[in-house]
Amino acid sequence: MQQTIDLDSRMILVCCGTGCLANGSMEVYQALRQQLSTTEVQVKTYTKTTGCNGWCEKGPLVKIMPDDITYCQVKVKDVSEIIAKTLQTGEIINRLLYRDPKTKKRIKSHHEIEFYKKQHKIALRNIGEIDPASIEDYIERDGYKAMGKILSEMTPTQVIEEVIKSGLRGRGGGGFPTGLKWKACADATASPRYVICNGDEGDPGAFMDRSIMEGDPHTVIEGMIICAYAIGASAGYIYVRDEYSLAVKNLAIAINNARSRGYLGQGILGSALSFDIEIVRGGGAFVCGEETALIASIEGNVGEPRDKYVFPTEKGLWGKPTIINNVETWANIPVIINGGAQEFAAVGTEGSKGTKVFSLVGKVNNTGLVEVPMGTTLREIIYDIGGGIQGGRKFKAVQTGGPSGGCIPDTMLDLQVDFDTLTRAGSMMGSGGLIVMDDRTCMVEIARYYVNFLAGESCGKCTPCREGLKALRETLEAICEGKGKVEHLAFMQDIAETMQTASLCALGRTAANPVLSTLNYFRDEYLAHINEGRCPAGVCRDLTEFYIDAELCTGCGLCSKNCPVDGISGEKKEPHVIDQEKCIRCGECVNQCKFNAIKVR
Amino acid sequence: MKISIDHQEIEVNPGDTILEAARKNGIHIPTLCYHEAYGGQGMCRMCMVEVKNGPATRMVASCTYPIYEAIEVETSTPAIEKIRKNIVALLYRSSPSSEFMEKMYRQYHGGESDELQYSSDFKDRCILCRLCVKACEEIGTSAISAIYRGTDKRISTPFDEASATCIGCAACAQICPAGAIDIFQSDTERIIWNKTFTRVKCERCGEPFATREQLDYIAARTGIEGYEARLCEDCRKKNMAVKIIEASGEGS
Repeated sequence: MQQTIDLDSRMILVCCGTGCLANGSMEVYQALRQQLSTTEVQVKTYTKTTGCNGWCEKGPLVKIMPDDITYCQVKVKDVSEIIAKTLQTGEIINRLLYRDPKTKKRIKSHHEIEFYKKQHKIALRNIGEIDPASIEDYIERDGYKAMGKILSEMTPTQVIEEVIKSGLRGRGGGGFPTGLKWKACADATASPRYVICNGDEGDPGAFMDRSIMEGDPHTVIEGMIICAYAIGASAGYIYVRDEYSLAVKNLAIAINNARSRGYLGQGILGSALSFDIEIVRGGGAFVCGEETALIASIEGNVGEPRDKYVFPTEKGLWGKPTIINNVETWANIPVIINGGAQEFAAVGTEGSKGTKVFSLVGKVNNTGLVEVPMGTTLREIIYDIGGGIQGGRKFKAVQTGGPSGGCIPDTMLDLQVDFDTLTRAGSMMGSGGLIVMDDRTCMVEIARYYVNFLAGESCGKCTPCREGLKALRETLEAICEGKGKVEHLAFMQDIAETMQTASLCALGRTAANPVLSTLNYFRDEYLAHINEGRCPAGVCRDLTEFYIDAELCTGCGLCSKNCPVDGISGEKKEPHVIDQEKCIRCGECVNQCKFNAIKVR
Repeated sequence: MKISIDHQEIEVNPGDTILEAARKNGIHIPTLCYHEAYGGQGMCRMCMVEVKNGPATRMVASCTYPIYEAIEVETSTPAIEKIRKNIVALLYRSSPSSEFMEKMYRQYHGGESDELQYSSDFKDRCILCRLCVKACEEIGTSAISAIYRGTDKRISTPFDEASATCIGCAACAQICPAGAIDIFQSDTERIIWNKTFTRVKCERCGEPFATREQLDYIAARTGIEGYEARLCEDCRKKNMAVKIIEASGEGS
């Protein structure tokens, strides 16, 4: 670890989160290992892989400690130069440093970069700093200290009181106060009791829980042990979707290491607590993120929710008292125990304490994983941390809370994000997806996309959700194809309201949010589709015609070169023309044109 | 304990569902997926009611909501009626060839229904209440279940193939409110769920009354074999009556 090495040694951290891996970070790591083993270097070097640093846009990331140098988009061919210059002579390679787009200056440490400056890492505190496969790395950063503390100094009731005082609310979407949930379970009479980690993250574009399970699996395990002590549970389950293979692998390594140190199993650290954890690999159904469906799935039944008039804290897994919390919630628990409830509650807003991890994706410059205090505005997240909209285009909406969240327009960019403000805005926190959309996004098509996703991922058990989504999908498809009628809007509103009040589970009750929020904030766009037969964003193919503004066109030819159907012609330096017969309305020319010369009719 | 339903005070056993309590007291709450033999499934959502518990009011499914507190229940408010109307309209939209749904639609929306498209496809009649699945679990052999997810959800045998466990008892078809399960049969054969069964004739009256597989299953489960097991329900009763008369004749 960096604290223990002297100045004559260097720690090289290669980000091996999923984003960086996809960009070849494992090859970079292997090249570093291989070349360092054959090269004579003045200083001692340690190389390790870490979990996701969050700044996926600029990966693979390589950090060199203690100099605090962050190299971006490192390729295998850069490795020899890094060894020859930075490690041998201490010379910084300017080319690999991040270049601030505003000041045009190269920045050495990631701590000075806008993307990281406004972040406050609690749940992600270790990720990017430790090797997830090493329990020693976790322990060096106060890992399992909270477990030791509760076993030696605190009663179960005190643990629950501390979590209640922290104000922590469930990070999986519901936002239910975690401490109160634990108390209800501790007060239940039946036993045995169970602790479950919900790692069935299934929103398109979300990777918060995945990054935590991959990058810091021990924090999840420690959180669950603390809960087991507080409620008197003897068995725990981590439910992960099977396609998260790296998460499953790192969790399995972590559980084995914790067992061999006596942190899991019979009589943990010589105390009366006996608790062990098993991994359950889910089949990838989105609805299994709903806790009663998840429980049904662990029991070997079809993943369908049930009415929660009796909570799982009383009758959960196999009908016994059960605590089920989301991955990110678990990651906060050790911090609350170590630092105390007061310190944790100092961050955040009145009703939502602490931080929230968001996966910031879509048409934003710095896509990645960010953790900010509750109450940070959408503007700060999108413009300061996210670096604004790609290609300098115009912001149109941000979709929060996953597929059943809502779309929030630019007039609400100064909304301070917490559980309650988002719900009031007709959206929700969900598990923390943030999808940024620019002016090339059709909001009707977006509503159709999410409704279609949910129609496939609903369990199909209750009528309002299953049949409501079917009706909404058919109606939205008709509008996108130019067959919309004005009555459709009232029809959708009516169906959506029934889904909200009568559906069995939270998936159904929120499934109409994409429709309701776009009807509320982007009604004009629906009306343009229906009354004027056009799609203002130029997305719905049946309602779009592109043309080139001869005044603005410089005849650079970029559009015709990129047109997949050779549908654009024109002489060099002369205005070009789109052949409407050939045009498939893919919009590639709009994306390519540097002069905004391609217009939508 | 006491609760109130539609401002009427009634006595209930703790743990009873609202629907059970209402029905016991002659208060009607409409349902589609409920059968008293199988309990609440919470699926059709027709039985939504408003529950007032202290200061909080919420909408719940009466078939799955267990009573433990002195709640006040309303079974028909404008909000509830709107939900029921929409559920009926949505189901009718998906099962346009079901006479059952057409009737329901008329009942809730009045007048004639819009354009009807009759189709022989049973999927167009099924309203996914899953009473058939419940009946198959309890009376039959769990040969059918709800398969797939979301809008693709439907009732079938595993992989849509003739089920190895199906005994052809047709309990599923009998309980189906929408007439959505087809049975094709002659005096000697029954085809249901793509499987062909031999029909067994009653040894007394000669009417076919069960399938061979059904009788084997009953014999294995109950141990009842012999002459009585080879009689249809009617003849079994008549046979029993004769026995009783003979027995009482001897006694007098």
